[in-house]
Amino acid sequence: MQNLIDFIVKYKHWFVFFLMEGFCLALLFRFNNYQGSVFFTTANSFVGGIYSAVDGVTSYVGLNSVNLQLEKENELLREEVHEMKRELAAHRIDTLQFEGFNRSRYRFVSAQIVNATTNHSMNLLTLNKGSQDGIRPEMGVVSSSGVVGIVFLTSDHYSIVMPLINMKSKVSCQLKDHQSFGTMEWEFGSCQYGYMTGVPLHVKASVDEVVETNGHSDIFPSGIPIGKVVSMGQSDDGLSQKLKVLLAVDYTSVHNVSVITNYHHAEKRTLEFVADSLMNLE
Amino acid sequence: MKRETYIRLGRMVLLLAVQLLVLNHLHLFGYATPLIIGYMIICCETAVSRMSLLWWGFGIGMLYDIFSNTMGMAAASCVLLAMVKPSILKLFMPRDMVDSFKPTIQNMGLTRYCWYSVSCMGLLHFTFYFLEAFSLEDLLLTIGAMIGGTIIATVISVCVEYIVRNRIEEREVGK
Repeated sequence: MQNLIDFIVKYKHWFVFFLMEGFCLALLFRFNNYQGSVFFTTANSFVGGIYSAVDGVTSYVGLNSVNLQLEKENELLREEVHEMKRELAAHRIDTLQFEGFNRSRYRFVSAQIVNATTNHSMNLLTLNKGSQDGIRPEMGVVSSSGVVGIVFLTSDHYSIVMPLINMKSKVSCQLKDHQSFGTMEWEFGSCQYGYMTGVPLHVKASVDEVVETNGHSDIFPSGIPIGKVVSMGQSDDGLSQKLKVLLAVDYTSVHNVSVITNYHHAEKRTLEFVADSLMNLE
Repeated sequence: MKRETYIRLGRMVLLLAVQLLVLNHLHLFGYATPLIIGYMIICCETAVSRMSLLWWGFGIGMLYDIFSNTMGMAAASCVLLAMVKPSILKLFMPRDMVDSFKPTIQNMGLTRYCWYSVSCMGLLHFTFYFLEAFSLEDLLLTIGAMIGGTIIATVISVCVEYIVRNRIEEREVGK
């Protein structure tokens, strides 16, 4: 404290000087219109520049929360779109149908991919949501571009997804224009292309035709894009066509996904299992 | 109050009167007005502390501003000159001077005194005209006013120094 007082006493003329200059400049800007306007214009533009720089930084820092908010919104919108599509389809068939029986089975849970492999034959993705978030094995995973894969294993907080680019992955699909069914498979190689097999020979598929889910498996609702046909060929046994498909999802950059929860799926599987067992008994 | 203070007060009133009544109406080349009020600070000896120099500078500057409607300009310039003056004087005064040193032509010689006066007046006029223009537009005009004002103010201060101080000393010698 003594040092501070000594310092102030020693350099008091500097303090007085700055005070006087400050007072003089305040008078200058207050009582001289031209100088005042120049000073306040410059000060305003300077402060404005600082504010815009600060705003840029804070908005960049806040992008993460904005992303999460957008994801939530996307989730709701996807549910809404699905609901709308279902409503539309229902109205086309029967406008007097009772809607109580028709409630959508699908709900969406947004998640982020926290780990992924794309250069193995058995590629897997890890999501940051698990069974505590309502995710169960054999639920579909989609991104804004299209189908990503199917949930393979879950723990409390994480889940493993078997993407389309896994040699064991098989997803039921259809050609959008021809409504012809097939199975989406993948062969070890490029993670951009998959193969649609089991397409009957008489179907004349065209290049750029969209391949989408057909809704038979209950894992995915119908109409979610998988990719586009790039070229046509025959399967090894020559009995069906094998179409090369450019996948809609870029696995090297996909980050935000939604898991399609369908809790009726297990019930359906159990029922089918029981039916199979009964048939075998007979 | 000390005698010195009365002398300085008288000097201040006289300088202000000359400045406001005569020199403010002199516009050399149409725009260069000399500021003789700087002489108030220039003529102070080294014994005067920086603090009192600042107050004298602030006082004469504010009075000039009030009477010539240039609020803050002359006061800011005079305070800056008062702060820097001891350092400028150190450049021109003989090195072996320890006691109070009066910056006069007799003590410093005409050339040194002229350089000292030009430096101080230059700083005063530079600050004053820069604050008055407050932009870099018409820079040549501003520089012209600075140089013109500095030269006239220096010439006046040297003349005053030469005539008045000489007479005072002659009187003292006569006594």
